[in-house]
Amino acid sequence: MSSQSYPGGVVIANPYPVDQVKIIQSPLPDKVVLPLQQRIGEEALPCVEVGDRVLTGQVIAQTEDHFCVPIHASISGIVTAIDKQAIPHKSGLKATCISIESDGQDEWIKSQGCGSDFLHCDKQTIIDYIQHSGIVGLGGAGFPSHAKLNKAIDCHTLIINGTECEPGMMCDEALMQHHPREVIRGVEILLHITGAQQAIIAIENDKQEAYQSLLMFNHNDKISFAQLPTKYTSGAEKLLIKALLDVEIPSGGFAADKGILCQNVSSVKAIFDAVIDKRPLVSRIVTITGDALTPTNVEVRLGTSFEQVISLTDVNNQAHDYRMGGMMMGVDIETTQMPICKITNCIFVNNKTLKQPAKECIRCNTCNTVCPIGLLPQQLYWHAKSENIEKCTDYHLSDCIECACCSYVCPSNIDLVSYFSFAKALDKKQTADQERIDIARDRFEFREYRLDRNKEERSQMMAEKKQALKEKMAKDKEQGLEQTDKIAQAMARVKKTKEDNV
Amino acid sequence: MYSTGLNTNQIMRQVIYALALGVSASYIFFGWGIIIQILLGVFSALVIEAAFVVMRGRPALESINDGSAVLTAVLLAISIPSIAPWWIIVVGVAFAIIFGKQLYGGLGSNPFNPAMLGYAFLLISYPLQMTTWPVDFSAFSQAINIIFNALSFDGLSGATRLDEIKTGLSLGNNLATMQVYSTSQAWINAGFLVGGIYLLARKVIFWHIPVAFLSGIVVMALLVAVLDSQTHLPVQSHLMLGGTMLGAFFIATDPVSASTTPKGRLIYGFLIGVLIVVIRNYGGYPDGVAFAVLLINMTVPLIDHYTQPKVFGRS
Repeated sequence: MSSQSYPGGVVIANPYPVDQVKIIQSPLPDKVVLPLQQRIGEEALPCVEVGDRVLTGQVIAQTEDHFCVPIHASISGIVTAIDKQAIPHKSGLKATCISIESDGQDEWIKSQGCGSDFLHCDKQTIIDYIQHSGIVGLGGAGFPSHAKLNKAIDCHTLIINGTECEPGMMCDEALMQHHPREVIRGVEILLHITGAQQAIIAIENDKQEAYQSLLMFNHNDKISFAQLPTKYTSGAEKLLIKALLDVEIPSGGFAADKGILCQNVSSVKAIFDAVIDKRPLVSRIVTITGDALTPTNVEVRLGTSFEQVISLTDVNNQAHDYRMGGMMMGVDIETTQMPICKITNCIFVNNKTLKQPAKECIRCNTCNTVCPIGLLPQQLYWHAKSENIEKCTDYHLSDCIECACCSYVCPSNIDLVSYFSFAKALDKKQTADQERIDIARDRFEFREYRLDRNKEERSQMMAEKKQALKEKMAKDKEQGLEQTDKIAQAMARVKKTKEDNV
Repeated sequence: MYSTGLNTNQIMRQVIYALALGVSASYIFFGWGIIIQILLGVFSALVIEAAFVVMRGRPALESINDGSAVLTAVLLAISIPSIAPWWIIVVGVAFAIIFGKQLYGGLGSNPFNPAMLGYAFLLISYPLQMTTWPVDFSAFSQAINIIFNALSFDGLSGATRLDEIKTGLSLGNNLATMQVYSTSQAWINAGFLVGGIYLLARKVIFWHIPVAFLSGIVVMALLVAVLDSQTHLPVQSHLMLGGTMLGAFFIATDPVSASTTPKGRLIYGFLIGVLIVVIRNYGGYPDGVAFAVLLINMTVPLIDHYTQPKVFGRS
């Protein structure tokens, strides 16, 4: 399989290389904290109460929304609280979480699945299993897998994203190296669901051991491999599709529109666990790296605190800077008292350093040359800084994938991408405000129209009534005349009778 | 974040270092004047920049450290006659920094090249001092006397080659009877050319602007030479006289006031080159680098708007 490249992006040497990519099994945590708000969709409603005993894999919260996935207990134990706690989100805000204290038994609930005979399972049934097992994109986006699958029934090509282009991150690499059988079987499940003719597993060419171990377990001729040059942003879905298939997904469009389904390799393994092993998603592999410790991977139950995971390593005793997510796309965090979530793929623990302050932008153009989307970051920066959303839209702000290549190369050390996410949020808010204003205006205008209409109707009604009355009066008058006639006739008759009698 | 490559301060310094060869060439032919002008310019730039930044309530040291004021001063000092009186460079630098940069909001916000704005201001305001060029080497003490004590310099000064040609042509003379080359100017231009290539190699500047700039000069010069080679300078003269190489590699490439899109930079550079030839041939001034750069600076927002690169997923 030939592999192409794409313009832009940056080549970054792994800042914290390791000799061996290992996975440490974390011991069962004493306590887990599970946020009800997932990456996408509305907050789930708890279906347990404080004091309830729950089993590992038991659904503890869910939503009506078919787009969302339920939340499972990741250990067995007692629900101790349902309250607001710090969650790993860039806003730093707190959100409602369910806390479970472990009983140390890790007793699993019996879940549904197909077992190894998945080929006899109906496609929709498997997708339902995937949804009920709580599987989302584990690469960092957290997009529910079943929603993607529902859109991609009858796609022709499956892309399994094992590129893991974020420098320093190695949780997917570890997974491919140590669980090749599950990954390949998972791909076969996806092939069965989608009916795709081919599946391409994309790996960066610096992950040779992972590639070799997958290769060894692959006996399916529908599954092939593509080795991509080690360059940051090759893992971005649309860029990956462009590099592998030379298909450009239009702005605002989806891969499914072109008959392509992209899944992260960790999600594929989670699908294997759900469908064949009948186990919902209750754990994940997290890379712990940085210059304050020996980098490693830890397989950990969801909801375990960052602090506890970090304590499993040989971390030194100095003051640290923490960052979650990738070196490029992640966010700096202040506290480690937060739970590991489905999308927590990496934690950086670095010895504290002073941050270089940003200088003025000199429009040097370096950012333009690295933007994989072909945007003009320095122009966007200018307009985002002055909160000119209209201009930002002109420069296609919405197409920015926030890969942070521009921030990385900026000679003035400007964190460009934070300006872009700010501008996007502002745009969203302004659009929502505008919508509200539009609705209010529509309502007001309708009220005016309604009042006018009522007035008109009433005046018309009055006019009609008046007319009717007039007509009636005229008629009455006529009738009155007739009446007078009759009286006259009667009088005449009486008169006549009287005269006759006389 | 994790920075790579050169930072903004280093970029400015690299540009200043790259000027050394051209400055040396000027020193070899005309002596100490240029060195004194540069020192004067840098000193006044630092004082003016610091004073203005403090008035704006910003940290002065950071602003001085970024090297942009120094670079502006050095570029202006190189552009003016090296025997101009001391207040010329001081006034020019003050204008460049205050009106060319700080009033727009400091580094990164100026639409015009500050050094060229200062130069244009000086040329219009003090035409005599700005068109009296040295013709010979002057020793240190001599240069000091000329610059600070307004020592008479008859016999030491004259017009530039481009100026002579312009005057000659306006008197109805034929180019064939004139000198259309100048050894000193050719060497100085060569010095800036080599410095420019160094900047390209260090990736401090991109190739688009210099290449388009020089192409603009070549294309336009060839075009007008076809019309009448008796009254229009040959291409080689355009390239090796006046501020051509300094303009192509050090002035037009100022990222702040240049176009920012790849295609836009080609258009921007080309238009400056064309305009320089037009001004030299038909304008009122013998050289046109400063005016061409300033005029095309004005078109940058328009160029940028119409040359946006293709965005992924959009047709």
